[in-house]
Amino acid sequence: MRWLRFAVGLLIALTLHSLLDSFFPNALAFFNPYVILVVYYSMGGNVFGAIIAGVIAGLVQDAYSGAMFGLHAFALTVCAYAVASINSRLVLRGTLAFGACLVGAVIVNELVIYILVNILLKQKVEMFEQGMIVKTVFTCLFGMIVYLLLTLFLREEPIDATRRPAGW
Amino acid sequence: MAAPADVIPRRPTLLFIVVLALLFFLMSLSSRTRYIGETRTMFERSVMILFAPIPKTVNWAGQSMSDVYHGYLDMRRSVGENLQLHRQIDELTTENLRLRQSEGDLRRLRSLLGYSEEFTMPTTMAEPVMLDISGRFKSIILDRGSNTGIEVNDAVVNASGLIGRVVLTTKDMAKVQLITDGNSSVGVLIDRTRRQGVLRGDGAAGAQLYDIPSLSDVKPGDVVMTAGIDGIYPKGIPVGVVTKAEKGQDLFKTIVVRPSIDFGSIEEVIVLHTRKIPNDVVRYTP
Repeated sequence: MRWLRFAVGLLIALTLHSLLDSFFPNALAFFNPYVILVVYYSMGGNVFGAIIAGVIAGLVQDAYSGAMFGLHAFALTVCAYAVASINSRLVLRGTLAFGACLVGAVIVNELVIYILVNILLKQKVEMFEQGMIVKTVFTCLFGMIVYLLLTLFLREEPIDATRRPAGW
Repeated sequence: MAAPADVIPRRPTLLFIVVLALLFFLMSLSSRTRYIGETRTMFERSVMILFAPIPKTVNWAGQSMSDVYHGYLDMRRSVGENLQLHRQIDELTTENLRLRQSEGDLRRLRSLLGYSEEFTMPTTMAEPVMLDISGRFKSIILDRGSNTGIEVNDAVVNASGLIGRVVLTTKDMAKVQLITDGNSSVGVLIDRTRRQGVLRGDGAAGAQLYDIPSLSDVKPGDVVMTAGIDGIYPKGIPVGVVTKAEKGQDLFKTIVVRPSIDFGSIEEVIVLHTRKIPNDVVRYTP
């Protein structure tokens, strides 16, 4: 069921990506739907599943963006691992906690991309700080609204308790 | 067949490191192939093909929505233009009718003006404001009266012929007795033979010509004109056409005349200020 929800979420994220690409080509510089999806999934605390989700979502994002193939997958996997690891130890629930995780994830995601682009392509990312701040704000706001809607209308906690024993 | 348990990483951290290493390798491969012209690796192409229906569907839906939206806008604009054009058509139709009316009025007034210039006596143009031709007493009321010089017994004509005479005036109105009125008498002559007679209204839509001897040459179609012998009507105004001429019971013929005026469609008239014969001359007996 969780993977089905993830699949549906991935399709929605890709649809959003395509829509924004078609009608507002610059919008994706300020907003990342894949991070929302990965953080939503990773808050279940299942690190293994979060890594797989991060890889899949990242590869799909890579396939439809002009970056190196694997760049976003790498960054999203790092985010997913971090969020899932934290949630496997702490019980984070509610919109604010989700927003806080999103803020952290977006910042980590952007930093990882910045470093990789510097290392592999020897390129400087223009207006990195400003872009990161705007993307963090918009992604966080949108993600919190989505989270609220899901909890209000689906009447379910988006992330079920899926924690594995610490040894897993 | 299930994978052996030792193939699956026991710890997520280990899986994390392996995945990152693989992705890093993939990125290196991708960044290298960019410089040799091949911009997409096979794996990348496979992912794209797998998810291709979604962007295509989104693009199709977006295009369709855009088409529908623009179609709707075009339709709204067309409806607006259509309404505006309808309004313009209405305005132009009204203007066209008004111009046609004006053209008809102009033509009629020109002919009336030309006709009035034929008379040597003073004239006044007037318009009927009331028309009573349905009863036995046929009359019309004009919008001009004694203020403009109209007097009793002035002749009233238009371009088609004789209408009648003024029988009553006020300051700004005048009543006209029509030649079809039962009490009306007009001295007339047959244009072809110059035979004179008296035309009296029959109280309906026509008139009868009296005092024409049985031996006189009168035929249907003969034009009847004023004779100028009654002291009211000037000579030579068309009055009507003979429609029936039969031998009467006495020494005179029975002649029916159809007036040249259509009394139901009188719009402008000319009042002729004829020179009146003084009463003492009329009453004088030698």
